Amino acid sequence: MSLTAFYALAAFALVFAIFAVTTANMVRAAFSLAITFFLIAGLYLLLGSPALAAIQFMVNASAIPIMTLFIIMMTQSRSSAGPRTWQIAAGLLAAAAALVFFKGAVGHGDGQITPVSPETLGVNLLQAALLLFEVASVLLLLAMVGAIVLARRRAG
Amino acid sequence: MVTLGHFLLLSGLLMAVGLYGVLTRRNLIAVLMSVEILLNAAALAFASVAAFRDPHLFAGQVFALFVIVVAAAELSIGFAILLNVYRTHGAVTDDAISEMRG
Repeated sequence: MSLTAFYALAAFALVFAIFAVTTANMVRAAFSLAITFFLIAGLYLLLGSPALAAIQFMVNASAIPIMTLFIIMMTQSRSSAGPRTWQIAAGLLAAAAALVFFKGAVGHGDGQITPVSPETLGVNLLQAALLLFEVASVLLLLAMVGAIVLARRRAG
Repeated sequence: MVTLGHFLLLSGLLMAVGLYGVLTRRNLIAVLMSVEILLNAAALAFASVAAFRDPHLFAGQVFALFVIVVAAAELSIGFAILLNVYRTHGAVTDDAISEMRG
């Protein structure tokens, strides 16, 4: 049952990811990227981690596609030009290299999924990773202020 | 039964797709979207290893959370820079920024 769900989620996530990096229409690419991230949220549910699934849904499957669509609209880039021939060759080569790198991963057959409750994840976040948590909040604040300063229209 | 190998293989395939997108896309917004696929593949690998191999601390899932945070910060700064590229060059393609000017 969970194997069927995994194969369905994984196949659709891969198909939409491939569509997102190959289609010329930028708006379609943004929407199919959102669907890919939504399906990855489903995979997190399959991993027994509803907290991670909720965060993936709220940030990567909702907020980031909206931001992407806004920037596509503001820069008027409706379509992406087709890749050059050497780019396709380099891309396929890099993809093949990544697959060779991950070849050893298929062997990990044993093991059991341990579900993690949001409480456990939150306690780990605020005890073992408290310093990282604070650094992440400062990073988000810096990114917000930096984005506002960078995108501000210069006077004159 | 779903195994760790299934999830790691999917993560590797997503990483291959993202790498292909980073190298072939000519619109810079599309390049940033491909980087998003790469970061999500890495987060998925972290989370799945934590779920299968780390039943007490779930350090990998905490780390996947931080990967999402860094991805959001990186994307907002990247889009702000691209907005400036559009204002100065009139387009956000790789041809537009092939020359560097002060």
